[in-house]
Parts: sequence; structure tokens; C-alpha cells
Amino acid sequence: MSNTTSLQLTLTELCQATSLGSDTLIEIIEEGILEPIGTTPETWQFSNHTIAIAQKAARLHNDLEIDWPGIALAISLIEEVEQLRHENQQLRQQLQRFTPHKP
Amino acid sequence: MEFKDYYDILGIAPDADAKSIKKAYRKKARQYHPDVSKHHNAEEKFKEASEAYEVLKNNEKRAKYDALKQYGARGQDFNPPPGWNDDRAYNEQHSAQFNKEFSDFFSNLYGGSSSNRAESPFETQYEFQQRGQDIETDMPIFLEETLVTTTKPISYHLDGKNKTLQVKIPAGTANGDRIRLKGQGGSGYAGAANGDLYLRIKWVPHPLFDVEYHDLILTLPLSPWEAALGTKIEIPTLRNNIQLSIPANSQSGQRLRIRGQGLNSTIGTGDLYAVLKVVMPTSTNDTTKRLWQELSKAENFDPRTEWRKSS
Repeated sequence: MSNTTSLQLTLTELCQATSLGSDTLIEIIEEGILEPIGTTPETWQFSNHTIAIAQKAARLHNDLEIDWPGIALAISLIEEVEQLRHENQQLRQQLQRFTPHKP
Repeated sequence: MEFKDYYDILGIAPDADAKSIKKAYRKKARQYHPDVSKHHNAEEKFKEASEAYEVLKNNEKRAKYDALKQYGARGQDFNPPPGWNDDRAYNEQHSAQFNKEFSDFFSNLYGGSSSNRAESPFETQYEFQQRGQDIETDMPIFLEETLVTTTKPISYHLDGKNKTLQVKIPAGTANGDRIRLKGQGGSGYAGAANGDLYLRIKWVPHPLFDVEYHDLILTLPLSPWEAALGTKIEIPTLRNNIQLSIPANSQSGQRLRIRGQGLNSTIGTGDLYAVLKVVMPTSTNDTTKRLWQELSKAENFDPRTEWRKSS
């Protein structure tokens, strides 16, 4: 297969994948929105999952003009809502299996 | 070309001041932002509002738009008056590459939509180079397919053509995971890198099994006598059928755990839970009626003890 899925990205690769400047990414990281492994920007490693979060943060910043602390809050609330929606959907489905079927 | 009523889109009066325009836009943007909203056409609504705001927040653009509106533009069959667009300063060739593509109406009135992107303070911009567009698409996966590493074809739309790739889906791939295929998105412009293809893993709902983290739930219907006396039942799992012992005096809602028959995940293999569901026969005949009556005399059973505890 020609396509590769790399598991870890460096800061430079993350800049490329998200079209974001390193200054912006560093701001996002300082706010705790992204959590790289490693102590210095040169050794930072990001998981593939980070790309989606960075892109989401950038969109919210750009489109809704929210500052970074606000985005950190928004993203954790969005995650919570998604989690709850998912759980709700699961429980509804289980409940449906458990209630008698109409003949 | 369809005439866009930007005031209508933002829900404001044609004489609205800058402050009300901003407020109306912000409200729509929060309501329909694709990262926040679950509205079925959130993205479209958000783009509409962004486009309206792009025009109305800028005095020059707004004046031009108002003049056109005065001209009597309405509905689907809108044609601009002669000479209305001679002062168009720029017309970007590659506006189609941008995710936030505006309508034909906007592009005809103001040129490409890319000016909107270039203003963005946090993007690395080169004068002509532009990285190809990222593409995101859903990849439906059956639960059975997550047990081992599989290769599946994915078809997607790229530069007006259908493209098919064989994609390796690693064992234990979870619902909502994104697989990134580097360079398989839109072509870069003027030597810039191609965009990436992102596949969002969507588990197809299973007719029998529900998923909780990496555990599986199977609802197991039992007759009242199976639940009372206990039995052995052949049950399906994702891998094969197995024999399960149902203990005597089982209850509806009780969960029986079958170790190691859940999903494979990055943190190990989950378990399968059989949730017992006691089902009553829907009819009785003379014999069964007599047996139930005998049972009701023989048993001194109160099914409503929990009511008494709470009162």
C-alpha cells in the first residue's frame, strides 16, 4: 500500500498537516488544548488525534473570534457533550432491545 | 445565479448598524458552527452566515451589495446589470481549493473567496503557493472487521473524479478514530504539498451487539421457566457461537460475563455481557393456564417488595 499512516508527528509536521504557524500551535499547547509528549518544541511528539483538535481550535478561533482560554473550555465542553450524546444513544438502544416488541 | 439576501440570512433589517450585524453574525455562528452544532445542514448555514457577514461588515462591500439590491435583484433568475462589476479588483483562480468556499453569487460580486482566508492571522501564507485541500470522509466498519487488521477500499471525490484507495484498518480501531492518509487530499498549487485524506471510522450498528467501551452487550431473551430452572443456551459472539450456562433463579436485567469475547482494542480485549431478558408467552391455552394457576397457589411470591421498602 502506498499510503502511510504515521502515528507520531513532530511540530513541523503538525504545522504542515494543519496549515497553522508554529506560533499559533505553541499558543494552543501553552493553553493545554494540545498535550505533546516531550519537554521542548524540538522534541515534541504529537499523536495523529492532535491534528483534529488543532484544526478545531483554529476554526473556533478564526470563525467565532474566541480567545484561547475560551477555546480550551469550549473544546472540553464539546467533548463532554459528544460523550454524553454517545452514551445517551447507547442507553436508548439498549432500552429498546429490552422493551417488548409489539407483535 | 441565485440572489442572496444577506440581511435575511442574518435576520436583520436592511438599515442595521455595524453592531447589530456583528451581534447577529456571532449568534448564527455559534448556533451553526460545524464543530459545535448537530444541525443537519449546519455547515451550509454557517457558510451562508459567514458570507453575509463578510459582505455586510465591510462598508465598501456592503454599499456595492445594497446598490445591487436596489436594482431589484430577486430570486433564482438574477442577472447583474451591465457594467456593475467593472471595478472588480481581483479574481482568484484557485478559490475552489478553500474549504470555506462562498457562493457563486459572492464570487461574481467580489471575486474569489480567498481574501477571507488570507486575512486569517495564524496561517502560513505564501504568495502563490497553496497547500491542497484536506478531505474528510466517513469510513463505515463492521464490528467483526475490527477484530483483525483488514484492508478495505475507500472511494472519495477528488478534483472532480472518483478515486479509490486500499486502506489498511488496524485491528482494534475505535469508533470515531481518524486515519490520516498523507498527501491523498487535494493537489497543492504551485509546488505546495498535497492535502491529506482523513477517514473517520464509523462503526456500523450491529443487529445483535451493543458496545460499551471495548465490551459487547448481548440481550438474551429467556422464557420464565428457563430463568427459573436454569439452562444451557448456545449464544452468538462476534467470533463464534458458544455455550452459556444460565443459573437457576436468574432475573431479568441480570448480566452474565463471558471473558475475552469483547472487542479487541489498543488496551486489550474486552468482555461480552449477556443481559437476561425474561419474556412472557403472549398467549395461554387450557393446560398452561392451569399450570400457572397451580404455580400461583404453590408460590408465596411478592414481586413488589421494592414498593414496600420505599414507603
